[in-house]
Amino acid sequence: MTGPKPSTPKRRFLSGLFGGRKGDRISVGNPTSIISVELMEKTGIFFPDAHLDSQKMAELSAAGYEILGFDSIMPEFSVQQEAEALGCMVDWGSPTMMPDAKTHPAKEVEQLKIPENLLEKPSIKVVLKALELLRSHYGDHVALIGKVMGPWTLSYHMAGVQDFLLWTLTDPDKVRHFLDRLKEVTIAFAKAQLQAGADVVVIADHATGDLVSPKTYQDFLLPVHQEINQRIGGPTILHLCGNCSDRLRLFVEASFDAYHFEWQVDARMAVQVVNREMSLIGNIDNKNVLFRGTPEDVYKQARYSIEAGVDVLAPECAVPLQTPLENLKAIVEAAKQGYSSRGNS
Amino acid sequence: MTEEELKRFYLALRDTNLSTTEDLIKEYIENQVSPISILNEGLIGAMGIIGQEFKASQIWVPAVLLAARNMNKGIEILKPELLKNNVESRGKFVIGTVKGDIHDIGKNLVTMMMTGAGYQVIDLGIDVPKEKFLEIISKDHPDIVGLSALLTTTMLEMKDVIKNIKQTFPNPPKVIVGGALVTQKFADEIEADGYGEDAVRAVELANRILFLEGKK
Repeated sequence: MTGPKPSTPKRRFLSGLFGGRKGDRISVGNPTSIISVELMEKTGIFFPDAHLDSQKMAELSAAGYEILGFDSIMPEFSVQQEAEALGCMVDWGSPTMMPDAKTHPAKEVEQLKIPENLLEKPSIKVVLKALELLRSHYGDHVALIGKVMGPWTLSYHMAGVQDFLLWTLTDPDKVRHFLDRLKEVTIAFAKAQLQAGADVVVIADHATGDLVSPKTYQDFLLPVHQEINQRIGGPTILHLCGNCSDRLRLFVEASFDAYHFEWQVDARMAVQVVNREMSLIGNIDNKNVLFRGTPEDVYKQARYSIEAGVDVLAPECAVPLQTPLENLKAIVEAAKQGYSSRGNS
Repeated sequence: MTEEELKRFYLALRDTNLSTTEDLIKEYIENQVSPISILNEGLIGAMGIIGQEFKASQIWVPAVLLAARNMNKGIEILKPELLKNNVESRGKFVIGTVKGDIHDIGKNLVTMMMTGAGYQVIDLGIDVPKEKFLEIISKDHPDIVGLSALLTTTMLEMKDVIKNIKQTFPNPPKVIVGGALVTQKFADEIEADGYGEDAVRAVELANRILFLEGKK
């Protein structure tokens, strides 16, 4: 029982997302950006324009499907779309530099201003418009992925990373208040993206394994993530980087449909621990393999992840902008070999 | 300093209450303990334990930020006493995120850990042009220069900075590098003198360069 052959990108991705029928091969998706300078050159659409123009955003993101052969299209490249709408000054960067928030305007809860017309703010609206455009062109056969920042990441934007992390020890109530207020932004933007045409929305929340402990996640974020998932209603993928081998079960408890994970987390171990209660998307190493390795290195890692039983194959995180195109294509090539090793698929 | 006393310093650095460190340092100064001993055996000793716990994933970044905050307060109180005693730092370390790159949490953690290990740290901040590194080297003669970069483009800037430092100075300081996408291999390619995977390893690397490889 392997399901329909050949499958289509959308059916393949959705099946992987929900841990369903395996079909003829694993799906290749991108919960985070796969845009590289080479892709910008090929499409003639460059950063920073593509962050702020819905047509350009849609077209550049579609290159992931058209040129690389991924099964999904995800139009939000940066982590700063919400930041500008919430009052941070954002430097939108360049073709070789991702955007960055320059100011962090809220050191107190009272300084958090969530605009009533949040969804009308230019940096938010552009994503919704891009999704609508993508739905009308690709919505029938390619999976469309939306992306929003979770309240932890939004707190970094609003307060600065170091202050916010320090408060987890010195002022835990303030941390809770920040998360409580900012989760409304996450929920509103996620719902709007699903309504605009996304099949699933990624919640990117950088309480990363390298920065905070599993207990910090459990105490502060787990209940908030549970509420977010309940209230959004549609499918969600958690993106939370770093080595999270020690907290995978907490993400299951938070009720995400899938977890987008890094190479540092061993795929075989992860598959065993989550026990099909949540899908796993990942986990090709950006630093040593996609960015600095060869297509053969990519192939080897991809095969390891496939044979470990990962549900959707993907880079571990937003790829470095100088990632070679041939390495990104090598992910799709590895997937096309099917479920068993090269030569006997 | 006894094991018991070191433990008091360790607990003070872990305490969310800043006054615990303040009171402890004042108590030791009043009891005529030498400021060098308070600094080296107390504060730096305790920070060393915190660094090792961080490396072993027993504690995380918030606890390191807290310890650095407390330690800075401790040093501030101790400073007049240290000046009276003409205490030399372990070594002089200049650090900055290279031009074009504005990311600083990694750099800040290295700054905290190097300060915590007894180095005099000059932090040039973010988006630092190579001219600024050259200027500070001729003026302050650091033992080690640390370059940080997060982006693929700015990693290449590191290469340029290193080349310029080595060409400009007959006895250049050692240059060490770090950043999310930097690897040992890349560090070797751009002829850096060392690569630190994280803040604790950066301190270990600096110690190794200065004390084991005989620069000091």
